[in-house]
Amino acid sequence: MSEQTPGPFPARSGADLPQGASRRVVMGWLAGAGLGAAIGLPAVTARADAPKKGGSIRVAGYSSGTSDTVDPARQSLSTDYVRCNMFYNGLTALDGSLAPQPVLAESIESGDARVWTVKLRKGVEFHDGASMTSADVVYSLTRLQDAKLGSPARPLASQMTEIKAMGPQEVRITLSAPNADLPVVLGTFHFKIVKNGTTDFTTAIGTGAYRCKEFSPGVRSVGVRNPNYWKAGKPYLDEIEFFGIADDAARVNALLSGDIQLAGGINPRSTRQVKAAPGFEIFETRGGGYTDLIARLDAQGTGNADFILALKYLIDREQMKRAIFQDYAVVGNDQPIDPTNRFHNPHLPQRPFDLDRAKFHFAKSGIGATAVPLIASTAASSSVDMAVLLQDAARKIGLSLDIKQVPAGGYWSNYWLKAPLCFGNINPRPSADILFTLFFKSDAPWNESKWKDPKFDSLLLAARSELDVGKRKQMYWDMQAMVRDDAGIGIPLFLSGLDAHSARLKGLQPIPTGGMMGFDFAENVWLA
Amino acid sequence: MNAGITRLRPATAAGLLIVLFWAAMAAFGPLLAPHADGGVMSAQVFDAASRAAPLGTDYLGRDMLTRILIGARYTVGVAAVATGLASLVGTTLALCAATVGGWTDAVLSRLLDALISLPSLLFALVVVASVGSSIPMLVATAAVIYVPGAYRTVRALAVNIVAMEFVKVARARGEGTLYLMRAEILPNIVLPVLTDFGLRFIYVVLLLSGLSFLGLGIQPPYADWGSLVRENIEGLAYGAPAVIMPALAIATLTIGVNLLVDGLAGRRGGGDGR
Amino acid sequence: MSPLARLLAARLASGVLTLLIVSLLVFLATEMLPGDVAQAVLGQSATPDAVAALRAAMHLDQPGWLRYLLWLRGLLTLDLGRSLVNGLPVASLIGSRLPNSLLLAGLTALVAVPVALLLGITAAVWRGTAYDRVVGVLTVSAVSVPEFLVATLAVLVFAVRLHWLPAMFYGLDLRSPGHMLLVFAMPVATLSFVVVAQIARMTRAALTNVLDSSYIEMAVLKGVRPLRLVLRHALPNALGPIVNAVALSVSFLLGGVIIVETIFNYPGLAKLMVDGVSTRDMPLVQACAMIFCAAYLLLVLLADLLAILANPRLRHP
Repeated sequence: MSEQTPGPFPARSGADLPQGASRRVVMGWLAGAGLGAAIGLPAVTARADAPKKGGSIRVAGYSSGTSDTVDPARQSLSTDYVRCNMFYNGLTALDGSLAPQPVLAESIESGDARVWTVKLRKGVEFHDGASMTSADVVYSLTRLQDAKLGSPARPLASQMTEIKAMGPQEVRITLSAPNADLPVVLGTFHFKIVKNGTTDFTTAIGTGAYRCKEFSPGVRSVGVRNPNYWKAGKPYLDEIEFFGIADDAARVNALLSGDIQLAGGINPRSTRQVKAAPGFEIFETRGGGYTDLIARLDAQGTGNADFILALKYLIDREQMKRAIFQDYAVVGNDQPIDPTNRFHNPHLPQRPFDLDRAKFHFAKSGIGATAVPLIASTAASSSVDMAVLLQDAARKIGLSLDIKQVPAGGYWSNYWLKAPLCFGNINPRPSADILFTLFFKSDAPWNESKWKDPKFDSLLLAARSELDVGKRKQMYWDMQAMVRDDAGIGIPLFLSGLDAHSARLKGLQPIPTGGMMGFDFAENVWLA
Repeated sequence: MNAGITRLRPATAAGLLIVLFWAAMAAFGPLLAPHADGGVMSAQVFDAASRAAPLGTDYLGRDMLTRILIGARYTVGVAAVATGLASLVGTTLALCAATVGGWTDAVLSRLLDALISLPSLLFALVVVASVGSSIPMLVATAAVIYVPGAYRTVRALAVNIVAMEFVKVARARGEGTLYLMRAEILPNIVLPVLTDFGLRFIYVVLLLSGLSFLGLGIQPPYADWGSLVRENIEGLAYGAPAVIMPALAIATLTIGVNLLVDGLAGRRGGGDGR
Repeated sequence: MSPLARLLAARLASGVLTLLIVSLLVFLATEMLPGDVAQAVLGQSATPDAVAALRAAMHLDQPGWLRYLLWLRGLLTLDLGRSLVNGLPVASLIGSRLPNSLLLAGLTALVAVPVALLLGITAAVWRGTAYDRVVGVLTVSAVSVPEFLVATLAVLVFAVRLHWLPAMFYGLDLRSPGHMLLVFAMPVATLSFVVVAQIARMTRAALTNVLDSSYIEMAVLKGVRPLRLVLRHALPNALGPIVNAVALSVSFLLGGVIIVETIFNYPGLAKLMVDGVSTRDMPLVQACAMIFCAAYLLLVLLADLLAILANPRLRHP
């Protein structure tokens, strides 16, 4: 266990990947981690407020529809994550500091970060009584790579070139290139373990804390306590009914009327209402999620460096934070690594809201009085409001932004990555490396502003294999400066996940991968 | 029968005044707005009424009075034109179908049945996708959505009249279809037709907020009144004027239009009817 | 009655034709919409090769008209196909929602139609009086408040403040008539706000129109009693537009109640169809459109028949 936290940040071990997890060090950091270390409540809370068993709750997420799924590979919305976390387990799970913790894996070891040996927990049963074995793991991980399945995790899963059962309780995973982040990857939402051979996902048969009693897409899902759950004492609740209420106000009202006990993803505008009502609380999860302004560098007009700088100076971050998010946000600096990340660069000068400098750069850009279309949609959360505030500021320097609000359905495939000036919405990612690789590397599929910088790419690769934490940090700092100054991305704020719940509901602890405890509240909460 | 304003009943006069008031706001509202640029003027969202913001502030801290005044143009203008179009087209087609009858009636009725069955959401999305959004498209979409309803109502009225003796007599006299539609049938169904117009006007006003939500039509920062209600709905829990005021504006406008319509219809339908 | 039977046969035949036209229109519309179901399912993670693979798996690489014809062939054998999004049979998706929609529409009609007719008829009888104007202003104000405002306000008052009624549906476990009354109270009331006005206003207008006509004046001169006058002489002639308004309202209640379904978390058909449209799930959209269209045709046919039966002059056009 001592190898687990050799870095200078022992309290936040592996916020991104096991600190100092060198390719040569044997990563036995998961071995021996017993139930106590499993993801869950810090001992302090447990003592002060002991969990109680029994009772049932109703929970509403922010959407529901026919695309609701209990197939872990095909999850796409946070409501899917909630369901799958109820019914399934992964090999690992990410804790409050985004460090991977063992779940169905007892240990994950590698000598070179390329060939990994996963030892499975013994005595774990699926809901139908079958024992969980290596065959199930091999099946679950392999199917993520199936192009026909269309799993969003396919890009991550395709680095596993071989997934082989080495015995009933052991799996060997070979990667195409060394990646010390594998335990983190395995702890992300889609890497849940299903039963070998499962193709019918009209119900869910997993190893999770709750059994699937009912799953009706677009209507509701009901989980009942799994009496054979392998984590002793868990879960606490007898039953959870989960559904979606798409209307923000209706979701909050359902909570305040006592019809539900937990409302996921509430609008910051409703927080005042919740706080004013006795017996209800706001649950804030700070993290690295953001809604960003995207100016494509390869497009006419928006590709102009001065125009982009003018836009960045036009972002009134404090106003957005206050007016749109009721202060449930952290001011950003046009680079994607948020302050909760250990590689966040606090010395990068904060870009101010500065009309004079915006005016200067706007004049230099030569755009003039031409109206520039700005695409926004409710699909990218709060982007319409951000667009309105930006438009308001732009008018003061003579820049005319022509907001085009487009339908949420089809936004990601028709406008995002295509429109010259639009908004994106990026969920929190577990590590700086994953974030930079997915969204800023020159050949990244989601390189939003089409920003290409070979120096950035080589720094990214160097950082991935750099053993010296100090040097590595410097590299990430440099990369943040490069994104801030050169990419066509404006990141006004890092947004907090906001949930509201009955004060009787206890046990919620923030996990920065998303609200509702990284959508894994089900086995961790109880009714007081 | 040409009576002046003096001969209007009080209810009709009130309706006329309200409609004239909102028409004036639609024309000159932006000039009267206290915060001409309509931008954020307060750090307080959903604020109560104050000197600076007589109707409070909206969900971003903008002056609500300004938003409503600027929105008047989009609400009153778009609704009036779209409803007028829908009623005009619907009524004309319906009169034609009822008077001519036979195949014309059957074909028109079935075609419009098909149109009304097409989900309006799907229709609106197709419009956004294929022609983009603009105010003329918004008007056209709202009109198309409400033509079949107007058609059905008017046709149901007209077939009753067509079956009457005096129409048969006129037909026997050898009067043309156009004459029958205009001189014999329409005057006898004016009241229901105008009532239908009044109702449809309300529906169009309310439809606008739904279409704006889809991205069709009025684009931020401007908004019609229905959208103002929708975007400020969270303020309802705080009793914010931001949500109540635009709703009141809609209510007064629609009541005004319907009072006026009732009055007009009463004078014409009552007097000339057979 | 033979002309009536002929009319019925003609309308049924033309109904089938209308359904066909609608299905073609819906197909063309879904084809025109940007993006397809593969992109919708993948959302933000829709990289070109992922989309291509999923498209192939869903048979979207076939030409659109072929998929339409295959769907049409399925329809002939009463096979609605499977949802492209979740692979479930469309029939079972609809089967679980249709009764809910019928229930909500039925209950609302049960409440709203009698109220509306009563208001409309009395307003017409006492036309021009203060009562008439009050009814007019009230019904117009009721319908002019956006549904989402009425619903949200009702929830705030009756569920959040007073705790009298549940804020929404869950599970739809209708344990007893009393419980059912509680859960349906707010949605039915909200929807009644919308439809009462239309029916009441049209009833008043159509009746007034008839009551002011010369033959009624004649009847009045003959000394026919007012109630008999309205029910026996005027109403049959005004029934056409009235039943039309009712038919249009009820068909709205079946498919157009997306706001109420969303706010009260009611699992009905409107939400299913909106889901289908936003995920570009052609078989699902088609099936919903067919149901709404058929229901609408049935309702207006019923309306037309009633109008014809009530007005003998229409029987022999």
